[in-house]
Amino acid sequence: MDSSSSQSEFEYLFKLLMIGDSGVGKSSLLLCFTSDTFEDLSPTIGVDFKVKYVEAGGKKLKLAIWDTAGQERFRTLTSSYYRGAQGIIMVYDVTRRETFTNLSDIWAKEIDLYSTNQDCIKMLVGNKVDKESERVVTKKEGINFAREYGCLFTECSAKTRVNVQQCFEELVLKILDTPSLIAEGSKGVKKNIFKQKPQADASTSGCC
Amino acid sequence: MASTSKVVSSGDEESEEEEELEHFDDFTLASSWERFISEVEAVCRQWLADGPKNLLEKGAVHLGSSKNMYKVKSELKYLLKSYGMEYYFEVNKSGKVTDWDSIFHDLQLCFGVKEFLVIAPQSASGVVLDAPEASKLLSAIAIALSNCSSLWPAFVPVHDPSRNAYIGIQNLGTVFTRRFEADRICSQVPVKLMHLEGLYELFVSKFAYSTLDISMHIFKVRFTMKLTYQTLPYDDDDIREVDAENIESSEDRGGNSNNKTQWDDDCPWSEWYSAEDPVKGFGLIAIWSEKMVESSLEMAELENSSPHEAEKWILLPNISDGSKGNRIGFASQLSLLVEALDMSFEAQFMEDFVSAVENPSSDNLKSMVIPSPTVLDRVLKDLLLQGVKIPDFSKGEHKSSRYIKGAPLECLFAQFCLHSIWFGNCNIRAIAVLWIEFVREIRWYWEESQSLPKMPSNGSIDLSTCLIYQKLQMLAICIEKKRELNEDFQDCVGSNDQSSAAIKEDDRVVEESTGLQIPDDNFDRKRDSLLTAEGLHESGMAIPRHNGKPENTGSTDQKPSECIRRGSSGAVGSMMLLKSCQSMHAPFTQESPLMTEDMHEERLRAIEVSSGSFDFSAQLERDILSADMSAFKAANPDAVFEDFIRWHSPGDWENDESEGSSPSGNLAVDGLKDNWPPRGRLSQRMSEHGNLWRKIWNNAPALPVSEQKPLLDPNREGEKILHYLETLRPHQLLEQMVCTAFRASADTLNQASFGGLKQMTMKIDQLYLTMASSLRPLQANTGTSETIEDLRRLCVVFEHVEKLLTLAASLHRKFLHAPRLSEAIFSDYYNYYLPKMGMGSPEEVDVQKEFEMKLQVRNHERQVISNMFTLPTANQSWRKVLSMGNLLNGHEPILREIIFSMNDHVNGSHYATHTPSVHQKEIETYRMYICGTSNDLRVALSVTSFD
Ligand SMILES: Nc1nc2c(ncn2[C@@H]2O[C@H](COP(=O)(O)OP(=O)(O)OP(=O)(O)O)[C@@H](O)[C@H]2O)c(=O)[nH]1
Ligand SMILES: [Mg+2]
Repeated sequence: MDSSSSQSEFEYLFKLLMIGDSGVGKSSLLLCFTSDTFEDLSPTIGVDFKVKYVEAGGKKLKLAIWDTAGQERFRTLTSSYYRGAQGIIMVYDVTRRETFTNLSDIWAKEIDLYSTNQDCIKMLVGNKVDKESERVVTKKEGINFAREYGCLFTECSAKTRVNVQQCFEELVLKILDTPSLIAEGSKGVKKNIFKQKPQADASTSGCC
Repeated sequence: MASTSKVVSSGDEESEEEEELEHFDDFTLASSWERFISEVEAVCRQWLADGPKNLLEKGAVHLGSSKNMYKVKSELKYLLKSYGMEYYFEVNKSGKVTDWDSIFHDLQLCFGVKEFLVIAPQSASGVVLDAPEASKLLSAIAIALSNCSSLWPAFVPVHDPSRNAYIGIQNLGTVFTRRFEADRICSQVPVKLMHLEGLYELFVSKFAYSTLDISMHIFKVRFTMKLTYQTLPYDDDDIREVDAENIESSEDRGGNSNNKTQWDDDCPWSEWYSAEDPVKGFGLIAIWSEKMVESSLEMAELENSSPHEAEKWILLPNISDGSKGNRIGFASQLSLLVEALDMSFEAQFMEDFVSAVENPSSDNLKSMVIPSPTVLDRVLKDLLLQGVKIPDFSKGEHKSSRYIKGAPLECLFAQFCLHSIWFGNCNIRAIAVLWIEFVREIRWYWEESQSLPKMPSNGSIDLSTCLIYQKLQMLAICIEKKRELNEDFQDCVGSNDQSSAAIKEDDRVVEESTGLQIPDDNFDRKRDSLLTAEGLHESGMAIPRHNGKPENTGSTDQKPSECIRRGSSGAVGSMMLLKSCQSMHAPFTQESPLMTEDMHEERLRAIEVSSGSFDFSAQLERDILSADMSAFKAANPDAVFEDFIRWHSPGDWENDESEGSSPSGNLAVDGLKDNWPPRGRLSQRMSEHGNLWRKIWNNAPALPVSEQKPLLDPNREGEKILHYLETLRPHQLLEQMVCTAFRASADTLNQASFGGLKQMTMKIDQLYLTMASSLRPLQANTGTSETIEDLRRLCVVFEHVEKLLTLAASLHRKFLHAPRLSEAIFSDYYNYYLPKMGMGSPEEVDVQKEFEMKLQVRNHERQVISNMFTLPTANQSWRKVLSMGNLLNGHEPILREIIFSMNDHVNGSHYATHTPSVHQKEIETYRMYICGTSNDLRVALSVTSFD
């Protein structure tokens, strides 16, 4: 997946959403993906947003990535961003079990409640694999959950950047494999009435 | 009447005994004829005894055509036939019969009488057909009336009903009798009788003995005339036919496809629809008041005179009721929009309405027509066309517009709403298609960083508007900021570095561009204000968020650290820093970020869930606080946390000594230096361990505002707004559209000029308030099915006001130079229309009663009226046979009414001297009423004779 050189030209617009408990490293992953850096971030308030233009599967894409706050008090604010998302990234911290169990207890339910597209691609991400010594959730557990829930799975680290780019790439390619999502993605594409070719609909013109 | 003379004489005898035998009913009189007479007499006696007042109480029927006229009816039998006898009377018996402008019953005008009896058979035609029967009937009544000494004239209809013919008789005391006769010629009026001259001769012939006599003698007769003119209908077929050739395409909205100039072309609503002119035309009555005429020649001259010479002009406006038929206007479209709102609850997304065709349960959706792509294309272009000028966003605004949570008329969203209601037939599918395309266009402006058309890109967010408008304004501001940032970036990076990594990802553009260093020790004032502006400075809205009032930077207070001081807006009074003996400087700070209503709500909710803990609200303010601290640090390199608190939140700093009493100003500075350092401590909450403010302070880098990351991240906020627009729930969209469309429609109408008619202004004011209260449930998101009902009613109210306004505007433009007339007509119509407005729907109301009014025209106003009678074109006048005179700008009167009369002095030599009651009186001996046109003539004659 290459970063696209032109900022404004794209064929599809995909909306991705990142969810998971506070502190699992959602914002860090996003920062790593978009800027290739790692900083110590403070907890997200409400919703944050980043854009990345990429090329994948031979298509120019604009990714609009919503990074939600994991803290419970923001849950109502973040619920509206499930709408119209083509991909949802569920993040947990491999060193904190409750962040993993909360995925099925809380986050999967949030998706059922607010997501609007059945075909929407879900991806399970276990973060902070750099802290291997503190790991409490095994890779096997992650795979089982992903299989049961029907989603993609990967483990990565925002700190060491391991697997971060691949994680997003895999998700995007999967979206590009799903016709209904491609259709949605092309809807979001901008259009300018003054710059388009004249419409070829001679058959219908003249009547309304 | 020889056959009845016996009875008449017996009646006379009876009347002589009347005093004693008032209630005498003699049933010994055997003949049915006599019984009939006494029956008539009994009824008349009863009516006479009752008098108008009692008759009214007994249920006299009011005659619609005239104000004070009533009638009572009684049925009588004679042989096998039954007759109806009616007594017509007036309650308010003022006014002369020749007062043309008061409305009279036909017979009053014909014969110059006030109250009268009419007797007619109860048959289908209601007319006595055979002449002997008619005169027999009339004499029966004459006898009965004279028996009870009544002076009422009595009439019997004769001949064919279409002839409107009558004969009649009236007792005028004991010696005089007046006889009446009226008839009509419906076709082939003799040429002689088309002209005044001939009519005069007709009248004179009734009392002159021969035609020779007419030419020899001078007959002085009284004459008065009333002519009625009618303007040509405004939407005459002839005009339309000519223009029909010019029609090019049927593409136009509303089916108003011809190029004909409409009366309302310059009215504000003409951009959307063309209204039918409620003023259909005008009638004009010109009255020549009574004068003496003595020759045919004089009459011929009169026929040549212009209506301008008439003494009186009376205007008869012809105003269409408008409550019949479906009127196309804002109201009709708004009611369609309300139906769309009702449907909008049926789907999750706007897209669902477009693609719902596969869904079998949505049959009514399938039937909804979406306009062709060509139309869609045109509407979008129209909508997004950026004018040269920035539109005036207060255009059309009413003082109560703001109570409706909508958007300014000229802005993008209001225009979207107005386009929507005229897009196809404003069904939910059409709206969905337009909205989806509209949002895609908006995304283009966003992605390309192009200014949004028809949206202000500065100013504060007006929370009284609807959320979509707030969001669009915010988006316009974000686009502007994005552009500024890009430009700054381009400036600094130069053209050689276009392909740098940063440009690929626009979030990084922000970060890198704001991280730029300005290679200058002195801060760049201009840049500061540019960045602190946040669009607010331009609108004069900049309010310093802090209490510390900066003084002039050019003060003499030069300090060694000045060289590294950055982003200062000046010293804060005499305040000194705690740790270094330097005056405190206030920094330029970023404005608090703009927020739309939902952002405020989110914040409030977030504070709520955190149970209002002090730290949490600080966390929300973190970005702002951190920016302020950075700026403060930059402006005061030696400052400590306590200094910031003293400036930013003085309430959290407790002074040991009362600083308040110390004098201020430069003089105090020296004094304070002795007191330095100021003693005091932080408040409880600020000094708590782990205080968030202090944490932020510790982490905040010293950065002047010019180097800070903007508080409002245009990339994030802009994308959030597009997300909102793209995922907006149909009912939320429709609710805002309804509010905005109502407001924008009213604001459009509000621009119409109608000469400030009082009632109209009042109605518009009322409409706004009604709208505000009916739309409130939508704004609060508490809409129910009841709300939809309310909105349907609101549409009806809107329709009434719209109709009235169309009339007001039409009248205003027609009477620009005679405003009194438009005011009077409007006021009358308003009073006529008002009762209909109260009702739920116009159809429910009794529309039978047409609007009628007569308005006297003053002399200086005549020209305005005369101008309305434009010279008829050849096409229009060929149909008319110009056979009557008195043309008004080439218009022949449509009706001519004339009254001739002859009076004679009653004196002893001619008439019976033993009747002192009529002695010395002048009585009308001959009277003729003529009414008609060149091919329809009605003549009514009354002759008084001495029997
Ligand atoms: N060691 C390690 N630490 C990480 C990694 N990713 C994130 N962190 C740290 O975890 C903490 C939380 O990271 P965030 O990215 O703010 O977490 P978040 O999921 O966005 O949290 P909320 O915004 O509150 O929902 C930070 O201190 C990060 O530095 C990682 O891969 N390895
Ligand atoms: Mg975060």
